[in-house]
Amino acid sequence: MEQLLILLLAVVFLQTRIMNLKNAIVCLMAQSTIIAVACFMVGMESNIGWHSFLPAILTMVFKVGVIPYALFTLVKKLTNEQELESNINANYSTAASAFFVVLSYMLIDKMLPGIGSRDIVASSLVLIMTGLALIVMRSRAIMQIVGLVTVENGIYLFGMAITEGLPIIIELGIFLDVLIAVVVLVILTKRLSLSFMTTDTNVLQKLKG
Amino acid sequence: MNLMITGFFCYILGMLTVFVPKRREMWAHYLAQGATILGSLCVFMSAVVYLLTDMSSPQLICVVGNFSLEMDGWNAVFLAITGLGGIITGVYGLGYGIFYQGNRLRILSSLFTTFVFSMVLVALAQDALGFLLAWEIMAVVSFLLVNHEAEKKGVWQIAYQYLVMTHLGTAAIMIAFFVVGSGAQDLQFSSLAMETLDVGTRNIAFLAAFIGFALKAGLVPLHVWLPNAHPAAPSHVSALMSGVMLNMALYGFGRFIFNFLGPVEFWWGLLVFSVALISAFAGALYAQMATDMKRILAYSSVENMGIVFVGMGTGMLLLTTNHQELAMLGFVAAIVHAFNHSIMKTLLFMSAGSIMHGMSGEKNIEKMGGLGKFMPKTALFTLIGAMGLAALPLTSGFVGEWLTFKSLLHLVNAQAGTGFRLLAAFGFVSLGLTAAFALGAFVRFYGIIFLGRPRTNIGEKAQETSGSMLIAMGISSFLVVAMGVFCAPIVELAIKVINKTLVKLPALTNNLIIMPQANTDAGVYAPLALAALFIVLAVILYGLTYKKNLLVKSDVTWNCGTVSTNRQQYSATGFSKPVRRAFGAILKPIRQKSYLQKSHDYFGREVLYKLSLPDRFTDNLYQPMQHWLVKAAAFLRQIQTGSVRLYVGYVMVAMILVLIWGAMYRG
Repeated sequence: MEQLLILLLAVVFLQTRIMNLKNAIVCLMAQSTIIAVACFMVGMESNIGWHSFLPAILTMVFKVGVIPYALFTLVKKLTNEQELESNINANYSTAASAFFVVLSYMLIDKMLPGIGSRDIVASSLVLIMTGLALIVMRSRAIMQIVGLVTVENGIYLFGMAITEGLPIIIELGIFLDVLIAVVVLVILTKRLSLSFMTTDTNVLQKLKG
Repeated sequence: MNLMITGFFCYILGMLTVFVPKRREMWAHYLAQGATILGSLCVFMSAVVYLLTDMSSPQLICVVGNFSLEMDGWNAVFLAITGLGGIITGVYGLGYGIFYQGNRLRILSSLFTTFVFSMVLVALAQDALGFLLAWEIMAVVSFLLVNHEAEKKGVWQIAYQYLVMTHLGTAAIMIAFFVVGSGAQDLQFSSLAMETLDVGTRNIAFLAAFIGFALKAGLVPLHVWLPNAHPAAPSHVSALMSGVMLNMALYGFGRFIFNFLGPVEFWWGLLVFSVALISAFAGALYAQMATDMKRILAYSSVENMGIVFVGMGTGMLLLTTNHQELAMLGFVAAIVHAFNHSIMKTLLFMSAGSIMHGMSGEKNIEKMGGLGKFMPKTALFTLIGAMGLAALPLTSGFVGEWLTFKSLLHLVNAQAGTGFRLLAAFGFVSLGLTAAFALGAFVRFYGIIFLGRPRTNIGEKAQETSGSMLIAMGISSFLVVAMGVFCAPIVELAIKVINKTLVKLPALTNNLIIMPQANTDAGVYAPLALAALFIVLAVILYGLTYKKNLLVKSDVTWNCGTVSTNRQQYSATGFSKPVRRAFGAILKPIRQKSYLQKSHDYFGREVLYKLSLPDRFTDNLYQPMQHWLVKAAAFLRQIQTGSVRLYVGYVMVAMILVLIWGAMYRG
């Protein structure tokens, strides 16, 4: 499990450095795959029949399959595949990520001292914060969707670490939520590129009354 | 019980008429108004039947889930008011609706029914949620009714102002309910009443409740919506709003004072008393100044609700003294005046509607005059209503005001020391001034509209209204006189209500004459004896002058040899000039004189004279408040740049701060 978490954190760090849209989606796929594997391992441990593997399967289907596919088809239609912010921004977000790792461990040790799944909870917090930081620091809509899915992954990991398997109906609810959110976002991004000829969300500021 | 449920079904039937096809518009209208009349009749009957019993236990109407509708003494009074108002305005609406043919008539009629129904529900609701729900329906429906003629200039702004104000009031009432119910098991009125709260909580609850209900009742300075909204609504609706809806505020306030808030604090009474006195005074003063017919009536409503609340305030003040039995009179005065005011104000708004109809929509009294010749019946009914609102003896308006004065008199003896005496003196002076202003305002109202000669040529073609509108006004004027002469039963009923269901106070003797206290020999009002005396005097005078040609024959007024024109009559603005002069410091009228060019060699320049009265409450209180709010919003706007990323950043910072705070708190 620890190796998996180290890999996850590495992927998240990588995520903060990628400026190309396609690569970002690939990175997101890798991240979701690691989450799915983690789910699978938790399912192995709990061992309560076939539906302990359901979360892993759902993660694979939605977060590795459907969502990246939708994003890829969207990226194909866009002309400009590069994030607009500079490399300094990438450095800042990596630094923020590093800061979040420290902060998360400190918070966990303060709030839940002696918890068994300390590393999982800490990494999930890192995921949530980094996802938010991605949304704040990137201006392309696709990158922000990637950030949103990262946040979602973090929350999911957190739930898994704390409860060791949520009720099936809640799992399904969460997945449907994310799926619909991403679908809506993809449609909106398409509209954005149609109306403004770009997917830079900064142009939305013009809409303010 | 069955009667009340029948009434509900009638109302629901009336509400459903909005689905009648458009080409059967008039059917829908008659059906809705008929349903309103029948429903209101049922409500009125069941309320009166209940009031005539000994009212020992509340009467359960129906229970739906957690909501229950019950009738006890206090709300039965207001159900009677609502029922009566619904019947009269319903009858009037039968004829009045014709003028709205082709102008969303179905919506008007079904909203009208909904409005009456919502007020019945407000009175009947027995838990906070049901009350607020009904209250909100009442507010929204009355907003839609005010907004009915939205195509007219300025109407939607007025309706919007009304909506904003009334929602502020609802918010305050909501706060009051939640503060009162903070420790109770549920929000049923019975469990709210059981609760005992500490003084601080009760103070907050009182303040919130008073603000909320004072806003609905139109007490100064929360009255600004009232003189705008009432003229904008169709006449039968403004009759209902002014006559009945304002009283719902009294109902709610009474519930809080009598049932929820526990023992009355001295400063509560003082606050209600002073605000009410100021309202009465300002309402009457502005009623003198206004030239829009319905605005005059709206300001008169402010005045009369002020008088009603003076009664409440006096009662509350007396409750804090050792002579609690004297408090009864103040509350009785409030109930009696609320009831009488509802009839009189309904009547006058209805005649305003008839006059407007006769004058093809004109509301400015400066353009009327001499209508008595063209509309004799309306003139008679208006005269009776105006006499009532001017509180002349033998009309119902007098009874309530007289009782209010009587209750003020009790303030003098209630407690040793000068404080209460000063209050009583203050109350007497300002109420006396108010009554004088009201008299002036209604002399002006009647005189300018009906007497003299027409000021414009629309007035020369004015037509008498007919049919149901006259019947409704006739019923009202009959009631105004009847309640004035046979007022003792009403007062007795009010005393019974206060005694049986609210504060437990000893009964006071009372018979066909009103004698508020047995042991004082002064201050007896015997309307029957007065009426008899009046009739005898009238007969004697008639006998003396009969066929003796004592009266000088009428002729054209002497006008220095020239023929007098209609424009030389006393104008409404001129009539109120002395008062405007005397109270210039309060009213601050703006006079503009501009000199035009000479049109004739032998005469001076022509002068254009403009007089306008600023709405000082809007200018000095609401405008600065609005300005301040906008400024505060501009400060907030700096945070809201419109950048989505920044907003997410706020969320992130908030999340991290909460996490760190949680960690610190734990550690």
